[in-house]
Amino acid sequence: MALKGLDIFKLTPKTNCKDCGNPTCMAFAMKVAQGAVSIDKCPHMSADALAKLSEATEPPMKTISIGEHKLGGETVMLRHEKTLVNKNLFSLYVCADMADADIDAKIAEAVKVDYERISERMYVETIFVNVEETQTADRGIAVAKKAAATGRDLILRCTKPELAKEIAAAVPVKVLVGANASNYEALNAVATEKGLVLGVSGKDLGELHDTIEKLEAAGNKNLIIYLGGTSIKEAFAAAVQIRRAALKDEDRTFGYPAIVNLERLAPGDDNLQASLASLFTLRYGSILVMGRMTYADALPLYGLRQNIFTDPQKPMKVEPGIYPINGAGENAVCAVTVDFALTYFVVSGEMERSGVPVNLLISDAGGYSVLTSWAAGKFSAGSIAKFIEEQQIESKIKSRTLILPGKVAVLKGEVEAKLPGWNIVVGPNEAIQLVRFLKDYK
Amino acid sequence: MRLFDRAFTGSDEMFALAEAAVTKTIDKLGADAPVAFGSTAYFLPCIYAYTGRKITKLSELKDVLEPVKGWLTRNYRLNDVFTSGIATVLAAEIIEACKYAENPTPYEEKYHGHMTDAEVRELGVPLVTQDIPGFVVIIDEAPTDAQAQVLIKGYQSRGIFVFLLKGAIDQAERCGIKMGFPVRIVPVGPGIEAVSHIISVVVRAAFIFGNVQPGDWEGFNKYSFERIFAFVNAFGPLENITVGCGAGAIAMGFPVITNDTVDVDVVPKSLIIQTNIDDLIETSLEARDIKIKVSNIDLPVACASAFEGEIIRKADMFCEADGSRKDCFELVRTKELHEVEDHKIELIGQDFDAMEVGCKINLAIIIDIAGKNMQSDFEPVFERKIHNYVNCLEGVMHTGQRDLIRIRVSKSSFEAGFRVKHFGELLYAKMKNDFSQVVDKCQVTLVTEPELVTKLRKEANEIYDKRDARLRSLTDESVECFYTCTLCQSFSPSHVCIVTPERLGLCGAVSWLDAKSTNELQPSGPCQVVTKTKVIDEAKGAYEDVNEAVSTYSHGALDKVTLYSIMEDPMTSCGCFECICGIEPMSNGVIIVNREYAGSTPLGMTFAELASMTGGGVQTPGFMGHGRHFIASKKFMKAEGGIARIVWMPKALKDSVAERLNISAKELYGIDNFTDRIADESISEDPDTLMAYLSEKGHPALEMEPMM
Amino acid sequence: MPFTAKPRTFNAAINETVLGTGAKAVTLGGQNVLPLYFFDNTPKNAPAVGIEITDTGYDATGLPALAAFYDGAATPAERAKKAASAEGVSFVCLRFEGADPGGLNKSIADCVAVAKDVLNAIDVPLVVAGCKNIEKDAELFSAVAEVCQGKNVLFLSAREEDYKTVGASVGLAYGQKVGAESAVDINLAKQLNVVMTQLGVSAQSIVMNLGAAAAGYGFEYVASTLDRVKAAALEQNDTMLQMPVMTPVSVETWSVKEAIMAEADMPEWGSQEERGIRMETVTASACLASGAESVILRHPASVKTIAAMIAALL
Repeated sequence: MALKGLDIFKLTPKTNCKDCGNPTCMAFAMKVAQGAVSIDKCPHMSADALAKLSEATEPPMKTISIGEHKLGGETVMLRHEKTLVNKNLFSLYVCADMADADIDAKIAEAVKVDYERISERMYVETIFVNVEETQTADRGIAVAKKAAATGRDLILRCTKPELAKEIAAAVPVKVLVGANASNYEALNAVATEKGLVLGVSGKDLGELHDTIEKLEAAGNKNLIIYLGGTSIKEAFAAAVQIRRAALKDEDRTFGYPAIVNLERLAPGDDNLQASLASLFTLRYGSILVMGRMTYADALPLYGLRQNIFTDPQKPMKVEPGIYPINGAGENAVCAVTVDFALTYFVVSGEMERSGVPVNLLISDAGGYSVLTSWAAGKFSAGSIAKFIEEQQIESKIKSRTLILPGKVAVLKGEVEAKLPGWNIVVGPNEAIQLVRFLKDYK
Repeated sequence: MRLFDRAFTGSDEMFALAEAAVTKTIDKLGADAPVAFGSTAYFLPCIYAYTGRKITKLSELKDVLEPVKGWLTRNYRLNDVFTSGIATVLAAEIIEACKYAENPTPYEEKYHGHMTDAEVRELGVPLVTQDIPGFVVIIDEAPTDAQAQVLIKGYQSRGIFVFLLKGAIDQAERCGIKMGFPVRIVPVGPGIEAVSHIISVVVRAAFIFGNVQPGDWEGFNKYSFERIFAFVNAFGPLENITVGCGAGAIAMGFPVITNDTVDVDVVPKSLIIQTNIDDLIETSLEARDIKIKVSNIDLPVACASAFEGEIIRKADMFCEADGSRKDCFELVRTKELHEVEDHKIELIGQDFDAMEVGCKINLAIIIDIAGKNMQSDFEPVFERKIHNYVNCLEGVMHTGQRDLIRIRVSKSSFEAGFRVKHFGELLYAKMKNDFSQVVDKCQVTLVTEPELVTKLRKEANEIYDKRDARLRSLTDESVECFYTCTLCQSFSPSHVCIVTPERLGLCGAVSWLDAKSTNELQPSGPCQVVTKTKVIDEAKGAYEDVNEAVSTYSHGALDKVTLYSIMEDPMTSCGCFECICGIEPMSNGVIIVNREYAGSTPLGMTFAELASMTGGGVQTPGFMGHGRHFIASKKFMKAEGGIARIVWMPKALKDSVAERLNISAKELYGIDNFTDRIADESISEDPDTLMAYLSEKGHPALEMEPMM
Repeated sequence: MPFTAKPRTFNAAINETVLGTGAKAVTLGGQNVLPLYFFDNTPKNAPAVGIEITDTGYDATGLPALAAFYDGAATPAERAKKAASAEGVSFVCLRFEGADPGGLNKSIADCVAVAKDVLNAIDVPLVVAGCKNIEKDAELFSAVAEVCQGKNVLFLSAREEDYKTVGASVGLAYGQKVGAESAVDINLAKQLNVVMTQLGVSAQSIVMNLGAAAAGYGFEYVASTLDRVKAAALEQNDTMLQMPVMTPVSVETWSVKEAIMAEADMPEWGSQEERGIRMETVTASACLASGAESVILRHPASVKTIAAMIAALL
């Protein structure tokens, strides 16, 4: 059970010395309780207090870093219980056994998927290079280099310690997957020497648990669980049971993120792999290894991930500004709404369907929906007028017609007063009615 | 003859007729001849419902006579009348069944007779949904044809389904009234025994829509009483056999309203005498608690939320009622049922036609509401809705409330025909429709006569004062229950507010009275009753019932809260709190910061930082979201010593609550001008200067017990 | 310490609701474990996948596989027959797009005739979806429910505005199954179930439609609402949230730009049909993972994939 802010505050020196960078001890304690600051930022904490706190604040699930990405560190099973903190990553599967042309084509295809959606870069963050024990080191290195050339983080799967060591020496690998009950000591040595995250698997959860215990006993807590060579049912069961054990039963041995190899679970079936990727995005896969990554996969999967890993209390926001729809020019009518991402998507989607050119004006409303931001005073005649002025809309757009969301019809008069020369039109209450409205209006 | 005897005699007559009919029909067709009404899956529906018997041939019909006779008990208790009444209906169905056994279409064309299952479904669905608010059975002739015409048309215009029996059919025919199932006026049959076809509809509705099982006597009576809004208009002189059937109707929960006064004893809610035929409809609807929805509002201008934000400028204005210049007010009053004439819209004084363009007028809008579930506590809730309703009118602007309203009517709306009475039409319809759970009757009085408005305004002010006094006297102790509010759960899934008289919802928008009326109007909505009988600790505001409610409505996310402590299980917040209070450890007090204040606080945290810790339905001891109004409450962190703990507030917030807060502090601690001792951002934004100020002013928190 | 898995079952279960009749009837619900956690307990009934057709037919421009699948099927009944034969299909959903007064505004009589033909053409259960116009749907559902008596047809949906009419006609008068549709919100969903049961519709005749969103379009609300509904149903034994859930995925996913943008307009995105299928399967999978007992999909390839995924998890 996480400590409450006040419990932590009681252990601080209560001097408000600001050495931790916070104005008061209370502010510091509250941030520690939220997990935003580490307790050791306070240089005046007594050893006793530190010991007490670090144990109590030790997370049930470790946060593992891979390059710039963080995995794990979750404290709840479902997002509504608090929030999920670290989004899952995607990985492209390549195998040293494959022909060079195939490897090149897959990598080229996957690298093309690179775009931005609501201030987040969407791309394949990692490449998973599988090198079987029968392969030569040269071949392994050659394939790993192809992957490394993309600049994406590299996950190497290799169960043979010497082979793994040679490849890791030649190519910058971030994760070494392959430890199991029989080879863990040797592979652990390779990983720790290079500072790599070590991926562990087992023939069943019992064996996996034992192996992790042994690795932890050997001093390695920089681990990740690998769910590869089993059935879909077993992989799903394992992902859920591991997370459940860690968070619900406080079994810290299982407090590690998991890699799920979908290419192994559904070889060659792109549709099924995408469906499974969706399933494991929601249920406890931290790195999802796919046989291919195309726009068809990425658009829904990255969108889903972005949705699921939002903080329920901090709605997604889009940048305020002018968004021309259907090739709207300076003479197209304006329609104003809020910067809540969902509102933006729904409204812009309906406007696109209407085919009518519209300048969609997204004003800064704190990322809340129309009614919520209106109620909070963040979407008002004043805020709309200020937005029009700050964005210099009047010099950019000639049209002087502004459509208001129907739900804030009550603002019409005030907006008219604040924006002389504009024709203020009340739009429909629901986005779904926009197509009709715009077509009729035109 | 007394009423009981009339009913019993009538029942016996019907039974004798049934016996004779069965004997005659068997003689003619044989005992094995089939008997059925056709197009129904429920055999002879009334008999099937009340006895569970599936009658398909005449011999079985004969066998059912015996149990029916058995129900003709004569112990002179009320129950005997009821069982006899039902038996009368069953006997009537036996007679009808014999007719159908002889001839599948026994009625000539102008009579409808038996209704098919399809017709039952067609009628049943709107009855269940109340699109048809109820049905009337009219028996025999009204005193005059003209009265009959007004009566039937009156029911029809209110959407009431009409069944006609006996002379009522001939009279309707004479009046030239169009009849038939599609026009919802059905001439059932020329004899009283045809009444069984109407009861047949009722029991089949219970089978189909209520899943009542055959033979479940009580079940059928209960269903018809609770779900079928029917009643009988029987014109005198009543025959005994009609009285017998009437007893059956009453047993099923259908009141009988008659103009016969001879040997008829009034039974409240069941047997009612109304000799004034003009009032028959109203008496009948009231007896069966039928409320008619207003489907068309008679308005010359549009009424829609799109017009809510319209501003009427002086140049476009036809006239203005401005409470700050001339006496004006709006008021909702609770009245007794007999004091209110439904849909009466009265204008006292001149209408717009007699006024000059651009003039300032006096205007009083008085809405009188009567209803069995109406409570005077709902008055302010309804009254505040006037603003929303009137503002939605095209070309009409409304601001303010009570006697500080301002209403402007545009020239174009006046030209479109908008007159004073239209306020009444609009408000009548809205009150009846939006608050149908509690508004049985509504009348609107509009006054423009200056002297009268001035006089009435004084009376209105007394009412407002009384209401305010009631609000002030409402304490957590003086009420029997609190309410939940789960409106915010869509974005804060585990949060639930417990709304008490002294602690509004933390958004500041839901008062205990609001919650109470929401609960009444929307029984399965966001505001549910929370009892407070199982006290754990009164000082902290801890109750077992409250904890149970919190657990249930947070779907298990929280298991307990206290109402008056910020240290122990404080109430959670969704995120839309007006203010946050947080413990200030140096002074042993709390600071309060409001949403509008963007700067830092002596805690070293801004509103936004504090909000991120306290929102989302999480309990963070030492910190709590709340409404502005709660600050001056004697319940504010009562467990920790109350408002004396407040050491800092942003100046704007302090000013806005100063008056009430100082009064509370005086009453609680005898401190004058308490707010002078509370710091603000102009005095300090850090703990050290805060402490210096508090010491200088001798702030009471410094002397209090440590909070942790 | 050795690891032992702890199966997590609940003392409460999701209601079982039967759609259709005969050998191919489908039972939704019944499980006492969290969605798809079949390793905790073998499910009584597998999640069901439905295929959606419309009375008007799809515009299959840019969707060659879909066009090929329905090639030669000129009437709704013929399309229904093909749809029912697609691999993995448990039921057919007939959506009356043509009934929309703002569109083709087909008459109730026409729609009833279509429904009859479709019902006769298939042996799997039928789900009827309306045109989203409250008044028209109420009338349409009532008329169609009447001619489908005894067939256990599910109607999507009764909403707050028309639950009385739809509940009374579809659920009570004609004994069919009623979909209870609410905006993505646990309390509104529960409230609708409460008032529907108060009206007299039995809890076993109600299937919840909690609303849907395409992946990326506010799906977090759908996921969290489903998560919470299942938690309330199983952990809290909330009987007013134990109705099985059916999520009409296709209507949402086939209207977002990822699925409708032609390849010519967005060449880097690749095949439109592939995008549409993937958007549909990814969303459907996420719905099932969060708590839907059934999903409605449009493309036969999507149906096949999702059915295969369910089978692999059983």
